Amino acid sequence: MDYLDFIDTIQSIADGVLFGATYALLGIGFTLIFGVMHKINLSYAAASIGAAYASLLILAGFKVPPAFVFVLSALCGGVIGGLVYWIGFKFIPLNNPLATLMSTLGLLLLIDEIVVHTTQGVPLAYPVLFSDVIIPAGPFNLRGDLIFVFMLGCICMVLLLLLIYRTRLGIATRAVSQQPVASALCGISTTRVNILTFVITGVLGGIAGAMIGAAIGMLSPLLALPLTVKGLIVCVIGGLGSIPGAILAGLLVGGLENLFQFWRGVSERDLYIMLLLFIFLVFRPGGLFATAPGRD
Amino acid sequence: MLELSGLSKHFGGVRAVDGVNLKVGRGDIVGLIGPNGSGKSTIVNLICGLFPPTAGNVLLAGKDITSLPTHIRVGMGIARTFQNIRLFGQLSVWQNLWVAQNSDQHRKDGSFLKRWLGAPGAARAEIDRTLEFFNLEKKRDELAANLSFGEQRRLEMARALAANPSLLLLDEPAAGMNAEEIEQLDERIRTLRKTGITILLIEHHMELVMAVTDRVAVLNFGQKIADGGPAEIQANPQVREAYLGSSNVK
Amino acid sequence: MDFYLGLIQIIGVHTLLGLSAYCVLQTGQVSLAQAGFFAIGAYVAGMLTVLGHWPLIPALIVAAVLGGATACAVGFPALRVKGLMLVVATTAFGEAVRLFFFNFNYQLERGELKIGPHGGEGFRQIRYFPENGWSTLEVAIFIWVIVVIVMAALWWMDRTRAGAVLRAVGQDEFASQSSGINITAVKVTAMTVGGVIAGIGGGLFAHYTTHIEHVQFGVALASFAIAYPILGGLSNVFGTLIAVIFIQGFLIEGLRFMGDWRNLLFGGLIVLAMNVRPRGLIDENTSALFKRALWPRKDRAGA
Repeated sequence: MDYLDFIDTIQSIADGVLFGATYALLGIGFTLIFGVMHKINLSYAAASIGAAYASLLILAGFKVPPAFVFVLSALCGGVIGGLVYWIGFKFIPLNNPLATLMSTLGLLLLIDEIVVHTTQGVPLAYPVLFSDVIIPAGPFNLRGDLIFVFMLGCICMVLLLLLIYRTRLGIATRAVSQQPVASALCGISTTRVNILTFVITGVLGGIAGAMIGAAIGMLSPLLALPLTVKGLIVCVIGGLGSIPGAILAGLLVGGLENLFQFWRGVSERDLYIMLLLFIFLVFRPGGLFATAPGRD
Repeated sequence: MLELSGLSKHFGGVRAVDGVNLKVGRGDIVGLIGPNGSGKSTIVNLICGLFPPTAGNVLLAGKDITSLPTHIRVGMGIARTFQNIRLFGQLSVWQNLWVAQNSDQHRKDGSFLKRWLGAPGAARAEIDRTLEFFNLEKKRDELAANLSFGEQRRLEMARALAANPSLLLLDEPAAGMNAEEIEQLDERIRTLRKTGITILLIEHHMELVMAVTDRVAVLNFGQKIADGGPAEIQANPQVREAYLGSSNVK
Repeated sequence: MDFYLGLIQIIGVHTLLGLSAYCVLQTGQVSLAQAGFFAIGAYVAGMLTVLGHWPLIPALIVAAVLGGATACAVGFPALRVKGLMLVVATTAFGEAVRLFFFNFNYQLERGELKIGPHGGEGFRQIRYFPENGWSTLEVAIFIWVIVVIVMAALWWMDRTRAGAVLRAVGQDEFASQSSGINITAVKVTAMTVGGVIAGIGGGLFAHYTTHIEHVQFGVALASFAIAYPILGGLSNVFGTLIAVIFIQGFLIEGLRFMGDWRNLLFGGLIVLAMNVRPRGLIDENTSALFKRALWPRKDRAGA
């Protein structure tokens, strides 16, 4: 491998890691909901894309600067997150994991179809910020839009970690995830914590959706399924319920994905990501940050 | 029959079971008592192999079974009930017992196909007999989830016996039962003893333990603090202290 | 007429797909890999009849065996994990199979034509039925004979001890182990049986559509596979059949006049159905009710 190839390889990994911040956010969303409710919310990635779409619609209606699209998307994400809980979880007995799995699958299809209907299935251009900025770093060039996305992702993660480890809400969330019955007896409303978790993850998802739009430069309903798969993979590689794990796994998957694309082409790259997941399942089924098994 | 030697299980820093030695002779009924959280259920789980011990061995009829998986141990003649009832709720009462027919004895009874696809007549008769013994024959086609609490407790025990065990582990079988039901349980345990089955009875209900057991072992904080005849245990000051606190001795 | 026969074929093949997931769901495992086994069956059977000039039935048998063998091989590592992990693992496997066929090129020269799977363009010209002069009706009958055999076998299995054991594992793994059941063996067996059924279904699918490509075997198909039995209820095989007829026959074909709106309806209906009947259309209590209505009080009836 000569010098230029080496530079290109590193460059593609760097681009991938920057984009990986979006995977990390999606992975966190899946992991948080799993952590609190021990349920899988398959509609999460679709809801994130939906929120990004909704923000575009609002943007088209009102004349606001494009930077606001992130705030709007976050807000829409929160609302959709709350709705998802209401429709897909609230009235379904929680001791039946198949039922919530199916209901969120239904929501995935529903959200995706609503998006297809309102946009006639045509991909929409998404406002790209800082796309003309190229930051040279030695022999490498870092794309401004990707840097922006990455920074935004990092800010969100830091805020989320503060929220979860430093506030009363966060402590309540963790209490519910560890001992739902005991927390209820301590006066924590599990329903309220559950809704809040969905709203928070929804906000996160909205931002992730907007970030994906900004990084790719467009939005398409076709993104929902692949992103669902990627988000789930990130959440498993990171270790179920582990936020730091999801972050690390997101960046890892983003970087490797771009590397494989550089080496083997776009049609084969996901194949290797699946193989990576299998390697983890066989050799480290608990993921990067497995939680220690407890009593019972 | 059953021998635990130096059995320990630690969960992180918690020593749920700490170096317990216990011998249960063939045909004995041994009680295992202790305050909540003293490690009684953990011992049952260790004997069944639901998780591996941190240290120590489990011996069944002289054979070391410490590293065998649960289903093999059950085949060798260990069966158990669960403290928090764990029936197959969406199966019928009859099917609950049918599923549990897994011992070496059953394996010898029918060919592979017969065992999995049909039910040899002997096996059927055995299930019917067990159901009758537990007074559940009228409920045989009912879904287990639709039974009353007392019936579910009886079905738990019936299912354990369907495996045709030589060692039966009863994990708080009287929990939540009323006086009349406990009396029936008492009678059933006495009837079972006549068949030569060995029983390890984990129970909070002292009257029952004192009435049916030959020997009682007491656990506190994962350690065995006493072991002896029921009367001896009742008089043991250490046991009283563990249960009632030192200032409360009558 | 041909339209309805075509629909009947679709329903038959999707029933097989749903039944393959039904087997696995019985043990409480959610497998999104069924589309992968289905794809393997489709490509293998197609290649055997087109490239190898095999007759259909041996080709289907090989497809079934390969589907089952893959499922068994996947089952061992995948079933070490459960719940969400298994969903993700099987999704990834299904996707890996799809991506494999996306990149799979194996073409032979036949005169001026090139035949065989051709990567992203798919595998065209699986013309076993037309070449051998099967009418649409005959194809539909052939498919349904297989569907009926599989359904009858599963229906019968539900009544055996094996069926009860599968369900027991699905309801409580701890209690099953403590009742002497080797749960790994049971789960892998269920997965293998599911793989066999999916393999047959895929083989049939390849031959009646005559053209297969990787996008047909994606996560969407895998979701359909588990949606049928879950919506229909896991208490017996008819739930799956009814769900397939409802979704493929009514929702997708019957409501064609609604155009794209039926896709919207589909997602909404799944959500609604799970809110109203979380244990599926025909749950255990319903089927017990039917049994009592049809065979009132047969005291010494099996189990």
